[in-house]
Amino acid sequence: MPKPSLLELSGVFFRIGNFTFGGGAPTTAAFQRELVERRRWYDTLQFGLCYALARVTPGTNLFAFCTASGWLLRGWRGAIAGLLVASIPSCALVCLVTLGFDVWSRNRFFQAAIAGALAASVGALLASFWLLVRPYLNRRQWLQTVVIVLASIALSFFAGWSPIVILLLAGAVGFFWTE
Amino acid sequence: MNFLIIYLLLLKAALSSFSGLAALPIVRNDFVVKRHLLTDHQLNTALVVGRSTPGPKGLYLIAVGYFAGGTPGAIAAWLAIVTPALLVIPLLMFAKKNIENPRVKRALRAVVVASAGVSLSATLPLSADALRNVPLYGIAAISLVLLIATTWDTLWVMLGAALASLSLMLSGFDHLA
Repeated sequence: MPKPSLLELSGVFFRIGNFTFGGGAPTTAAFQRELVERRRWYDTLQFGLCYALARVTPGTNLFAFCTASGWLLRGWRGAIAGLLVASIPSCALVCLVTLGFDVWSRNRFFQAAIAGALAASVGALLASFWLLVRPYLNRRQWLQTVVIVLASIALSFFAGWSPIVILLLAGAVGFFWTE
Repeated sequence: MNFLIIYLLLLKAALSSFSGLAALPIVRNDFVVKRHLLTDHQLNTALVVGRSTPGPKGLYLIAVGYFAGGTPGAIAAWLAIVTPALLVIPLLMFAKKNIENPRVKRALRAVVVASAGVSLSATLPLSADALRNVPLYGIAAISLVLLIATTWDTLWVMLGAALASLSLMLSGFDHLA
């Protein structure tokens, strides 16, 4: 698998980390498409490793994901670069929007563009779900995959369990459930 | 407001949550109720700003820091947000050593699949908020198909969706703004 240079890595993390709307999940989905499907910088298992560990790291999962991916691809320099380029521009943008929020929030063009981007982020979330689950729907693993997906949806949406508890429980189930 | 205090308060909030807006009750308690550094209106504005800008929703903490302490407050908030991310590296070092263990592989796979389920359940409230009319459903559906069936860059799909929405508004569909 080709390893990116620090500049290439920074470019991708800057672009995906700072221009994807809808929150951390669609942004992680965009990273998945870019790093695994398009550029093949790492495989599904390595993506899964970064994704899973970022989810169980306190704080903003997306920044933990960028740090983990950067570390996996380029060591400490990659981790720091990934974290900085994915966080600084978007944080600066938040400051600017906060400054002019009253003006922005009344602008119809801004509102319409945001509405379109947020609708696309719903599509991105659904696509991400499919791209994440699809590799584990083979003949050997489909039952475990379906059970875990349905249980996690039920526990999260209907029972209101915290994501971290659900993920730790899923990890324990995976650890002890032999195929 | 002291830079260090804003940093420590927001770091406490960041460390005690594992997703998006989970730290909100702690932030409100510290900044609005106990220390009166923000009003509820400012906190609401911070949340809307966090949702209206690219990147994670947790970036509303930057607006919180900005309201509490101006630009230095926003910098303190940025530091508080990025500090916990470094905790993933020792976890990654440990996991990499054990990745070939079949049980660890299965546990990892189960966490990824469960994460997908948790994210899907978070999509439901987001969908209710984001898909307010038929054209927006259409934009979401087209984006979904493009993102699954092509290798197009997500950024261009999002930009196309924003432009489509703008075009619809300009052609007289008023419910998008």
